Amino acid sequence: MVHTRDLRHEPWRYRLRAFVSKPANLLLVFFLIVLVVLSLLPMATMLSNMFTVHVGTEKKLLRLPVDSTTLWHFRKLFAGDEWSQVNFWQPLWNSLIVALGSGILGIAVGGTVAWFITRSDLKCKKFISAVFVFPYMMPAWTLALFWTNMFQNSQVGGGNIGMVESIFGVCMPEWFVYGLFPMIVVTGLHYSPFAYLLIGGILKNMDATLEESATILKANRATIIRRVTIPIVMPAILSTFLLIFSSGFSSYTVPVFLGSAVKCYTLSTKMRALIQAGYQGQGYIIAFVSILLGCLILGVNQHFTGKRKSFTTVTGKSGQVSLVKLRKANWPISIVLIIFTAFFAIMPLISFALESVIRQPGNYSLSNMTLHFWIGTEDSAYETGMIAGILLNTTMWSALLRQVLLALVVAAIVGTCGMLIGYACVRRRGSRLSRMVESLAFFPYLMPAMAFATIYLAVATSANFKFLYGTFGVLVLVASIKFLPFASRSGVNSMMQIAPEIEEAAVIFGVPWRTRMTRILFPIQKSSIISGYLLPVISVMREVALFTLLVPYARYLLTTMLFSFNETGYAQYGSAVTLLIILIIILINFVTNKLTGASFDKGIGG
Amino acid sequence: MPEIILQHVTKRFDKFVAVQDLDLQIQDRGFITLLGPSGCGKTTTLRMIAGLETPTSGRILIDGTPVFDSEKGINLPPNKRDIGFLFQNYALWPHMTVYENIAFGLEMLKWDKARIRKRVDELLALLKIEQFEKRYPAELSGGQQQRVAIARTLAPSPKVLFMDEPLSNLDAKLRQEMRTELKRLHSDTNSTFVYVTHDQLEAMTLSTKVCLMDTGVLQQYAPPLEIYGHPANLFVAEFVGNPTMNFIPATVKSASGNRASLSLLGHDATFAAKAPLDGIKGDVVLGVRPEFLPIQPDGPLRGKTYSTLPAGMETTVKLTCGGAMLTSVVFGCVDYAVDTELPLSIVGDNIALFDKASGKSVGFGSVTF
Repeated sequence: MVHTRDLRHEPWRYRLRAFVSKPANLLLVFFLIVLVVLSLLPMATMLSNMFTVHVGTEKKLLRLPVDSTTLWHFRKLFAGDEWSQVNFWQPLWNSLIVALGSGILGIAVGGTVAWFITRSDLKCKKFISAVFVFPYMMPAWTLALFWTNMFQNSQVGGGNIGMVESIFGVCMPEWFVYGLFPMIVVTGLHYSPFAYLLIGGILKNMDATLEESATILKANRATIIRRVTIPIVMPAILSTFLLIFSSGFSSYTVPVFLGSAVKCYTLSTKMRALIQAGYQGQGYIIAFVSILLGCLILGVNQHFTGKRKSFTTVTGKSGQVSLVKLRKANWPISIVLIIFTAFFAIMPLISFALESVIRQPGNYSLSNMTLHFWIGTEDSAYETGMIAGILLNTTMWSALLRQVLLALVVAAIVGTCGMLIGYACVRRRGSRLSRMVESLAFFPYLMPAMAFATIYLAVATSANFKFLYGTFGVLVLVASIKFLPFASRSGVNSMMQIAPEIEEAAVIFGVPWRTRMTRILFPIQKSSIISGYLLPVISVMREVALFTLLVPYARYLLTTMLFSFNETGYAQYGSAVTLLIILIIILINFVTNKLTGASFDKGIGG
Repeated sequence: MPEIILQHVTKRFDKFVAVQDLDLQIQDRGFITLLGPSGCGKTTTLRMIAGLETPTSGRILIDGTPVFDSEKGINLPPNKRDIGFLFQNYALWPHMTVYENIAFGLEMLKWDKARIRKRVDELLALLKIEQFEKRYPAELSGGQQQRVAIARTLAPSPKVLFMDEPLSNLDAKLRQEMRTELKRLHSDTNSTFVYVTHDQLEAMTLSTKVCLMDTGVLQQYAPPLEIYGHPANLFVAEFVGNPTMNFIPATVKSASGNRASLSLLGHDATFAAKAPLDGIKGDVVLGVRPEFLPIQPDGPLRGKTYSTLPAGMETTVKLTCGGAMLTSVVFGCVDYAVDTELPLSIVGDNIALFDKASGKSVGFGSVTF
C-alpha cells in the first residue's frame, strides 16, 4: 500500500516545476507582466494626473507647486457654468449625437446593401460588393477631407471654394458643410462597409430552411423579413451598432476636419485642445470619461450578444435560398447603388488627385493646374511650408519611411504577440491566468485612441520616463498595445479552430514546443495569422489620433504631417499625401492578398 | 515488458473530482478497455497514463519505472513514456500528406531517410493504404483517415498503444470492420492496448479485461464475461448487456446458508446461491438477463406482451408482469400480438441478487418457484 498526499500540499518547488514545464504558462505569465506594466500602470498614472497640478497654465492659475494634489480640475470642468458647458457638456453631447447618428446610418446603409446583395437578384452584385467595401480600407478622415473638398464654399468656414460651388455655382449652407451633420454622414458611411460585412455574412450563411419553413407556413416576404430574418440578425445588428457607436464616439480625425472650422468640438478634439492649452488635468478627466463610456458599451454589447448568441448559429447545410425578384425595380435600384458606391469609393480619389494639382483652390481649369505639389523643386510662393513637391521632398520621404518602419515594427510585435496570446489563452482556457491575460489584452480596445495617447503622454512627461518623450520607441509602444486587442482576438479565434489533439499528437512524438509551433500550428492557420500581421500594418499606416500627441514634431510621420498641412492651409500637399497613403494601403493589401490569400476585407461577394 | 500500474491516482479540476483514488494494474500485452458513460473519467485516466494530463495525486508506473509520482515529484513527459496515442478525431495534421504524417514522428527520432521510407512503406502496406500516400487528410474518407492515424501512431513501434474512442466517428459497418482489424493488430504488434469506449459491445468483443468506471470511481475490473455474468453492482449490471438486464424487486422472507426464500411479483420463490448468503434481509433486487427469462409453456409467471421487436436472428419481447416491465429474448423470428398473455420462467444458475440499499451484489445462483 502506497501512501500518497494531495498535490496541493506538495512542496512549491514541485508545483512550480509542473507549471513551468508548459510553455503556455510561461507565455501567460510573461504577457501578464508586460500588459500590467504597459496598459494598467499607464492607466493608473493617468488617473493620478486627474488630481495633480501640471507645469504651465495650471501652475500659474492655481499658484500651487507642480504635482501637488487638487480637485480643481473636476470643480472647473463640472461646475455647470459656461466653461464647463463649452468644454465638457457640449462636446459630450456632440460626441453622443455623432455616435448615435453614424451608428444608425451605418447600419441602415450597410444592412440594406447586404440584404440586396445576399437576398435579391440585383444586377452587378460583384461590382457593388467590391466597390462598397473599398472605402473601409481608406482612413475615415479621407471621406471627411473629400466632403470639404466637395462642399466647402465662399460663404462658410475659411471661404475656400470647393468643387460643387466651382462647377455648379451652388453654395451649400454651413450645417451641410461643417458640424454634426457631415460628421454623422461621413462616419456612418465609413463604417457602413463594416456593417455590410457583418450582417451580410450572417445573412449569407443563415440556414435558409429558417426562412423556407416560414414560406411553407404561408408567410409573405415582408412578414418573413420582419418576423424571421431581422430577429435572427438582430444580435449582430446590435453589436455592429455598438461598435460603430463607440468608434464614432471616440473618433478624432473626422471632427477635426469637419468641426474645427466652425468650432464644433467633440470630446476627443476637446481633449486635445485642453491639453494643448495647458489644462492637462481636465484633458485627462475627459479621457477617463471616454474610457468609462467605452467600458459601458462593451458591457452592453456582451450582455446582448452573450444572451442571444445562440440565434446566430450558422449551419449552412441547406441550399441557397431563393432570391427575391426585384422585377421592374431591379435596374433602377442597381443603378442607384452603383452610382452611390462609386461616388464614395472612386470620387474621393479623383478629388484628391485634382486638389493636389490645382494652384488656386476652386479653379479647375487646365491653366490653373500644376504638378508642383508633387514634383516641384523650388518655388518661393510655397516656401513658408515646404520647399519642394512631396515626391522630391526629403521631409516627406523620411516621414513616409518612418511610418512604414513603424507599421512594420508594430505589425511584427502585434502579430506575434497576438498569436502567442491566442495560443496560450486557448491552451490554458478556463484558468484564472488565461482569463486575466485575455481581458488585459482586450483592455486597450476600451480606450479611445486619443485617450490612450493622452495616458502615454502623461507617462512620457512624468519625471521618471522623460527618456520616452518624443521617441520612435514610444510610438511603437502605444501602437503595439492599442492594436493588440484585435490581434489577440484573432489569435484566440484561430487557435480555437485547432483541436488540442493536433498538438498533442506531436507531443507524444517528443516534438519540442518551437517545432510544434513552426511546423504544425502556424502552417495550419497560415492565412489567419498573416491577416493578424496585415491588420496592424494598415492600422498604423492610417492612424492619426494615436500619434498626434506623441510625435516630437508634426512632420515626423506621414499622417501627422498631413494634419499639419491641413491646419496650416496647405490643402494641395494634404490631398497629395492623402492620395499617397491610400495608394500605399491598397498596394499593401493587394500584395498580401496575391501572395497569401489573406485580405484586410474579406468581401461576402455577390 | 510493459506492465502499467496505477496507485491511488486522483484527478481534480478545481472542485470537480474527475478520477478518484484509482488503483489499476494493466498486464503486459493485454487489451484493456476503460468503459463507462460520458463524464465518468475514463478519458482523463487514459490521458494521465499517457502524460497528457497531470494527476492531482498518486503514482503511475510503466514497465516498473515510475512515470508519475506526486510524492517524489516525478512527471515524465509523454515522449519519455514510450507510448502511442490514437485520438478520437484522429488529429491528422491537415497540411501534411499521408506520408508526411506517418513520417513526422520518425523524423523527430532522427531516423535517416531510407529507414523512414522503409518503415512508412511497411505501415502503408499493413494498413492497406499504399495508394493514398500522397494525399492530404481532407481527401480521405473517415475510415481511411482512421487507418492513417493508426499507422502514424504505430510508426515508432510504441510498447503501449492508447486509444481514445477511436471508432466513434465511423459508421456502423466500418466500425465493425475496424474492430476486427484492431483485434488482429493487437496480436500482430505484440503490444499492450489501452482502449477507451462508452460502447459496451466494443468493450465486450475486443478486450481481455474491462475496467468499468462511473463518476470517477472504479466499479469493476474483470474480464468481459465475468463482468457480464457476475456484475459487482447494479450500475455494472445495468450498463453492460443489451437488452438491459431485468431488475425484479423482491423481499427476503427468510435466509439461511446458501438459500433464501423470496417474495417477488406476487409469487413465493427460493434463491439457491453458489456461495453462502451472509445476513441478507429486507428489500433486494433480482437481476435476470433477458436470455434467462424465456417464454416457456410451463412457466410459473404470467406476462402480458407490451410490444415485440423482431430483429431477425432474435426477437426482443417486452412484457408487463405484476407491475414491472420485463424483457425476454427469444431466438428466431416470432411476432406476438399486443396484450397476449404468455407464461415466463427464470432459468439458469447465473441469476444475480443485489442488496437494494447498497446496490452491491450479494450472490449468484438459481431461482425456483
